[in-house]
Amino acid sequence: MIGRPADILPPEGVPIRLDIASGGARFGAQSLDILITFGGLFLLFLALIWVNVLDWSMLATLFFLLAFLIRVPYYILSELVWNGRTLGKRIVKIKVISGDGQRLTPHQIVARNLMKEVEVFMPVTTLLSGSYQNGWVGLVLTVWMVLVLAVPLFNKKRQRLGDMIAGTLVVDQPTAVLLPDLAAAHASAAVGFVFRPEQLDVYGRFELQTLEQILRNRPKTEEARKRVSDVVRTIRRKIAFEEEVAPRDEWDFLTDFYRQQREYLESRHLFGDTREDKFHKAGD
Amino acid sequence: MQPDAKNDDLIRSARFRAEREAGWHRLEQLVARAEKSGMAAMSYDDALSLASLYRQAMNSLSVARSISMDKALLDYLEALCARAYLVVYAPQEPVTGVLQRLFTHGIPQAVRRSTTALIIGFLAMVLGGFVGFMLYQQDTSWFFTFVPSGLSDGRVPGASEAYLRSTLFNDGGRDGERLGTFATFLFSHNTRIAIFIFALGIFATLPSFVLTFYNGLILGAFYAMFHEAGLGYDLFGWLSIHGVTELSAICLAAAGGAQLGLAVILPGNMTRREALRERGRDAVKLVILAGLMLIAAAIIEGFLRQLVQSTELRLVIGWGIGAAWLAWLLLAGRDTEERAA
Repeated sequence: MIGRPADILPPEGVPIRLDIASGGARFGAQSLDILITFGGLFLLFLALIWVNVLDWSMLATLFFLLAFLIRVPYYILSELVWNGRTLGKRIVKIKVISGDGQRLTPHQIVARNLMKEVEVFMPVTTLLSGSYQNGWVGLVLTVWMVLVLAVPLFNKKRQRLGDMIAGTLVVDQPTAVLLPDLAAAHASAAVGFVFRPEQLDVYGRFELQTLEQILRNRPKTEEARKRVSDVVRTIRRKIAFEEEVAPRDEWDFLTDFYRQQREYLESRHLFGDTREDKFHKAGD
Repeated sequence: MQPDAKNDDLIRSARFRAEREAGWHRLEQLVARAEKSGMAAMSYDDALSLASLYRQAMNSLSVARSISMDKALLDYLEALCARAYLVVYAPQEPVTGVLQRLFTHGIPQAVRRSTTALIIGFLAMVLGGFVGFMLYQQDTSWFFTFVPSGLSDGRVPGASEAYLRSTLFNDGGRDGERLGTFATFLFSHNTRIAIFIFALGIFATLPSFVLTFYNGLILGAFYAMFHEAGLGYDLFGWLSIHGVTELSAICLAAAGGAQLGLAVILPGNMTRREALRERGRDAVKLVILAGLMLIAAAIIEGFLRQLVQSTELRLVIGWGIGAAWLAWLLLAGRDTEERAA
């Protein structure tokens, strides 16, 4: 259920990849919004009645108005103000974007939230009220309501009906963390191990990036160190590297190999010989 | 870029990264600030450099994809560009401009484009009214089937003419504050119903048609009952003053729903999803219009109906306002439509 990508093409023409928000995040954000709005209304009126400065007809007017505003208008306004995020969405770090890569328009926000009335409020209240539990009418209604609630689970982009009408997607807020460049971090160290071109011909991009992930964490436990020496042994066997590697040099061996392998693959790539993984045909 | 001793030692993609890293970090800071407090709070220089750094980062991403095999770098740039994209392409139109365009062009044009849907919406109400009227003529007990007892409030078949008349011409001694509460209640209740009727339309039009038809049934039965008591004309005035606006709004909401339903039933050459998106543009505008009219109707019903007691005056006000709506919807925004056509 996690990590479903949505490729967006911004006006710059460079496609970028965002992750479609998970069903759980959507459900969480919606529940939080309902809790915040209805809970807020409840607390406000508790306070107002306790303070007792307004008379009953003013209270009633305020109540009717607010009870209306916390349904569809709240979602429209908050998504307009916070660029596609309601309070609940802000908390679970998801947001609404336009599926076509352009700006999110007010029309889209209004469209997707108007549908909330039948997509969220109607099914939830019908199912919770339980007034239609008997007979075939109740059965049909229940099935219908459950189906409506489940629409986002059944399509690839997890769109509600409102999202389909508006052409919007809900995605995870991306977080950017720049890890240090492994090839740069060890570049100035004296070159210990040197690999020949035919030894670098064995692997491709996939293996290189797997090695990168291994190199991100220096082994700290005995077990981790053993895994690293397994990796070293495997690489040496595959590329026919005859030189002995002492246990304390194993880490340097891997970083040297990573750097030279990457340089080699990148330059092959520039010459039009892209090697996705070890199953490429070497020397074409 | 000055090639120094340290950079010379690096492989090509690492050099590429080292040269641009500072710009990315600066962009990251700017994006974080924009995410937190919005673009409006940023200085001119910062906003300008945000835009240009964003384009540079996009460029870097494009290049990195073709030359670098550094997964960390690609992931980072991808996420950074996505974040910057969401900030740079945030909606920036001023709200007043959007509203102005909506009222002068968007809504009237949308209404004129949705003839079929409007016919469906109004037909539902009219047919309902007609059927309700006819059924009541045949057998008055139909009234109890259609009209929920909470709504009838003693206005049932066989009630005395005097009582029925008093429900039409009686302000009930409500003071201004009470009227305000009543108007707010009417507005919030009716608007919710309208949104509901609209949104139900996506299930192949039928539910919103049925709901509107049912509204018509109640109306028809009510009218038949007052007609029987010889109060048809007075009821017409009582209904007209707000009903012209209010019932039209309900029909418009149903028409918005019909737009969605038509997209599902008859998508034409498009996929259903595309058709929904296409028709949704007009449908949403119909609902906004309906909401607007319901605010007006609630004010009229809450205040004016109680204050204006003459049937003739009620008719004039009701249909006058109706004509004003019609004039706006038929005449506004003609200029750009012709240019676009």
